[in-house]
Amino acid sequence: MIRMVAGRIASSSLSIVILVTLVFFMAHLTPGGPAYSILGQKATAASVQEVNARLGLNVPIWQQYFIWWWHLFQGKLGYSYLLSRPVGQLLWTYEVNTMVFYTVSIVLSTALSILFGLIQGVYFGRWPAKLIGGLQLAFYALPAFFVAAMLVLWFSVNMHLLPASGIVNLREVHPGIATYAAHLVLPVITVTILTVSALSRYFGEAVHEELGKDYVRTAAAKGITFQKILFGHVIRNALRPLVTILGLSFPYIFTGGVIVESVFNYPGLGWLMWRSSLSQDYPIVIAIVLLIGVLTVVGNLLADLVNGLLDPRARFE
Amino acid sequence: MSTTTLSAPRGAAAPAGKFIAWLTAKDTLATGVIMGLAILFIGFAAPFLYPPDPYAIHPAAALQSPSWAYPLGTDELGRDELALLLSGGFYTLVIALPAAILAFFIGVAYGLASGLGPSWLDKTLMRLLDAILALPSLIILLFFASIFTPNNTTLILLLGFISWPALARLVRNETMAQKNRDFVLATEQLGASQIYIAHVHLLRVMAPILVVNGTFMVGDSILSLSALSFLGLGVQPPYESWGSLLEQGLDLIALNPWWLILPPGLLVFGSLLSASLTGQGLLARFGGTR
Repeated sequence: MIRMVAGRIASSSLSIVILVTLVFFMAHLTPGGPAYSILGQKATAASVQEVNARLGLNVPIWQQYFIWWWHLFQGKLGYSYLLSRPVGQLLWTYEVNTMVFYTVSIVLSTALSILFGLIQGVYFGRWPAKLIGGLQLAFYALPAFFVAAMLVLWFSVNMHLLPASGIVNLREVHPGIATYAAHLVLPVITVTILTVSALSRYFGEAVHEELGKDYVRTAAAKGITFQKILFGHVIRNALRPLVTILGLSFPYIFTGGVIVESVFNYPGLGWLMWRSSLSQDYPIVIAIVLLIGVLTVVGNLLADLVNGLLDPRARFE
Repeated sequence: MSTTTLSAPRGAAAPAGKFIAWLTAKDTLATGVIMGLAILFIGFAAPFLYPPDPYAIHPAAALQSPSWAYPLGTDELGRDELALLLSGGFYTLVIALPAAILAFFIGVAYGLASGLGPSWLDKTLMRLLDAILALPSLIILLFFASIFTPNNTTLILLLGFISWPALARLVRNETMAQKNRDFVLATEQLGASQIYIAHVHLLRVMAPILVVNGTFMVGDSILSLSALSFLGLGVQPPYESWGSLLEQGLDLIALNPWWLILPPGLLVFGSLLSASLTGQGLLARFGGTR
């Protein structure tokens, strides 16, 4: 187990090094170069030359590369010249909103996926499973912006039930918890619909596959009740693909969905990414790209480790 | 199996049940292809059959709901929404389809190079791929779109150069699985080059997988372009696409303009469903499961 953990961590670290290098070159593509992205100043295009010289960005590229690493280690992510605040501080402000939103969404999605997946696996080939299968197929093809738009159209505009957009920023004002929850309902439903349609399908297939295995038949032959087999053995074994996919959704807990947050004008990190791309505020864009990449690698690593705990065989794969 | 003891009523709701059976039928190929043809017709033929100019402005007729004069109503500038939708379909498809083809060829080439090349090349390319795959494509798209402010040509290149990594991994793994089979080794012994082996044997063995995933990639390409346009960084004015039309409808959401939101959304949904059904149908035909 320790060897497996060490191996996975080493491999993930290498991925992160490559990723940071990739993003370094991406930052070089931005107009003005990393002068804005790492050491950003409120510099006009005309003064970029002077800024570059002053910040040592006229040194050879390999030296700049090490400067990039050095600043990352110090947590210096640059300076947003449009919002005139350090990027790190900005990210944190928006981070809180996204974390509330996506933690609720992912927990709800996982619970529903396990429920629907179980029904689908147990009733395989009969109408409950077919109904769920049809819904999964249809909802899986639904684009996020369309789901969000329809929900707003029905629940906000036609029925006046829920707010369509906006939220009071958690860190600045203290809104009533009810107001906050009401603002969260539609975004959470959107993410849940989209996540469950994919997640429940993987879990359902895994449950169905497990139910056909020899150990289930043996257990049934020994007279163990179906409930005990299902909840004692099958679910545990079927969780592996679910954990892998949850690992993939891990970065979204921190970075949010660009589309959903933009439709609902929800001031999270995804929304910030969108606005910054539109206004070409590169230091923020670069920092978020880097954050998402690193979190994805970490999410994969966590999924591998959890699977290693769940299933000893996964430790040797 | 003990599950059979839990008997469930069959065919409980007849019409709904039939629809679901149709959607989940093992062979969804016909449904998918018919929907795909309908989408192609909307994008490439219908703009020539419906004469009104999509970009003509009629301020007097702004924001009207559907009527005989304007079958799908008008937007806030008084532009004919049906004409806009057809023109938007043209720009959506004329960008998304070539982009999907470009991504397909890059993915296949990268995967083959990695699978057939020397082991150091394979390791390097796969390491790089791991890092690239850690970045969601929409995020990279946003980044590059914000740098270049894309036009229709650069959008094709952008989408094409960003959408290939998943296929590359698949082709590489499949190449690894196939390249030590007897017929490949025999050809190698006879002095065939790697390129000959790749296009005569490997690509042929992989054809079903390539066709199925190519179909899915078309859907992904349409979705990526629509999402990017929805966010204002895809197809740029004066041209419209389904994504940008939906976004404009959403801007006016307080006025309840369902005729500006529903049709473009349904068309993107239809395209994705068509690609998904076709892909799954092909997979079932080729004897795969899923």
